[in-house]
Amino acid sequence: MKKSISLLVVLALILSLFALVGCGGDMDGEDEALKVCVVVSAGFGDKSFNDSAKEGVDKLAEEKGVNVSTIECNHEGYKQKMMDAAEAADVVVAVGWECYEVEEVAPEYPETKFIWVDNTAEHIGDIPNLLCITYAQNEGSFLAGYVAAKMSKTGVIGAVGGEDSDVINDFIVGYKQGAEYANPNIKVETVYAGDYEDPALGKECALSLKDKGADVIFNIAGNTGNGIFAAAQENSFYAIGVDADQKLTNPEYDDVIICSMKKEVGLSVFDVIAAYIDEDAWEGARVQITDMATGHISIAYGDENSTQQIGDELKSEVEALAAKIVAGEIEVETTR
Amino acid sequence: MDNFFDVFNMGLLQNTLRSATPVILAAMGGLMTEHAGIMNIGMEGMILMGAFVAVAFSFTLSSAAMGVLMAVLIGILVGLFFALLVVKLKSDEFIIGMALNTFAAGLTVYLLRSIFGVKGTFSDKGIVSLPTVHLEFLDKIPFLGPLLNDNSIFVYITWILVFAAWVFLYRTPYGFWMRAAGEHPESLKTAGISPIKMKFLASVLCGIFCGFAGAHLSLGYLTMFSEGMSNDRGFIAFACVIFGMANPPKVFLAALLFGFLQALGLRLQSVGVPADLTSIIPYVATILMLVYIVVSGERKRKNRVKREIEG
Repeated sequence: MKKSISLLVVLALILSLFALVGCGGDMDGEDEALKVCVVVSAGFGDKSFNDSAKEGVDKLAEEKGVNVSTIECNHEGYKQKMMDAAEAADVVVAVGWECYEVEEVAPEYPETKFIWVDNTAEHIGDIPNLLCITYAQNEGSFLAGYVAAKMSKTGVIGAVGGEDSDVINDFIVGYKQGAEYANPNIKVETVYAGDYEDPALGKECALSLKDKGADVIFNIAGNTGNGIFAAAQENSFYAIGVDADQKLTNPEYDDVIICSMKKEVGLSVFDVIAAYIDEDAWEGARVQITDMATGHISIAYGDENSTQQIGDELKSEVEALAAKIVAGEIEVETTR
Repeated sequence: MDNFFDVFNMGLLQNTLRSATPVILAAMGGLMTEHAGIMNIGMEGMILMGAFVAVAFSFTLSSAAMGVLMAVLIGILVGLFFALLVVKLKSDEFIIGMALNTFAAGLTVYLLRSIFGVKGTFSDKGIVSLPTVHLEFLDKIPFLGPLLNDNSIFVYITWILVFAAWVFLYRTPYGFWMRAAGEHPESLKTAGISPIKMKFLASVLCGIFCGFAGAHLSLGYLTMFSEGMSNDRGFIAFACVIFGMANPPKVFLAALLFGFLQALGLRLQSVGVPADLTSIIPYVATILMLVYIVVSGERKRKNRVKREIEG
């Protein structure tokens, strides 16, 4: 008796689930404004990568009148959250290299467009409603390495990576190459924090590099990187920001952040969705590499209120190098 | 690749001391509840709340001391609340501990966003940090000088607190009563002392220590609050309590060992050990330590039983 009742309840629940799904589908057709849902693998507030993506869709809301919603995964349950997003939105933007399951979710919602930022799906060619956007962080890091090597007085520079992964290593190879381009005798010390959310650990990482003589340290570790800036301020060495213009996002560390390697995550998302709205242009099943040539990777020095530690001469050298990279005269190594 | 022995330098030891301090503070709290017979896994949440409150009040009142004071006050309140649920209302301590951690993680994020309007990390020039201490006489001592000097004030306070915790537990009546409340509450009752009150006391002390740990993390170690910045230090502290058998000096050493392994892990990367391996060293060590405790405890128990049978 008890068993049959519980069976009935379960059946009823399953049925109601289908009913709800049906509702969701119907409503999409009626609503005029495009619904965009951003799913970030971590959370907002990193003042760089994820926040930049948010800025991009906010700009869409402002200029194109799209309806924006956001979901923060906090490193858990990516698949379910992407499915939730797909139920409710026309375009799902999955932000973060961890969102591998987008590859399983996208084919289940063929009407929904998926944009995966910062990684490449294995079977991307078979999924027409999925577009991957990756960044030539190696190119920007090349310039960051060049700047670091030129600014270093000790001949040793450092980088703190969030973890030992392809994307992070792509930064590092570019950084090393750029540093060696500036000074063949430069020593580049790196350490992986193994965590993106622990500034105290970031501080220790930076100090361990400082012990080895590093006086310019590149932050490639998200929120953990805030500890690098803190260490830099206390021990008067320099740091280089990442993903966003961190002189502006972290003004309290303006005195130690000399520049930032900026990935225009938001702009790249904006461009794709704006083209989809304006021209109904959608070209899925491919990887779009945004790089220095497309204007999505650059070195940023804050604004007129920021302290400028880097002289104009070095800045113009950086600009010349950027032009060389765009022209293909300098081939930057990559792990992608 | 560097020479392997270059890894063992002054920086390694300084890092050990810094990394261990928040864990030691929380563990001193954890050993109080451990003695009182409460399994407290809520230290993670208590640290996080302490860290947030310390930054919030240091910023609004422009005083680091007020930040610490408020962190301690919140610690007391949370300790009372925890004891109310666990001791008085006899809820499951494990569930309440978990709930406390989840609650703290959510609440601090919510308050951070609603009060300060920031997400992720709140670091502002307006947050007053705790002072670092420079002791003149240490300058003259070659090895210890650079190691012990110029640390955040709580590094030194922690050493005193470890000693104080030991004196309290083993040399004062309250300490005896608190341990009795955990080991044999009935006999404590016959002595006319309420075990419930002693458990409340332990829980409040734990709150205070975790308040210190949080305040040190956000005002001493760093000058910022970052979502989830306790980052499992409360759990590591719990492991240290178990490993150190809730004895303050031993727990202190266990926490130092943990700090040392973490610091060593970062440095081993430079001699070619993969980062994935180095970052698990502290956790593997924790598991090994706990296995050792269980195995040696079992052996001791067997020996005792054997002696009793033979005698």
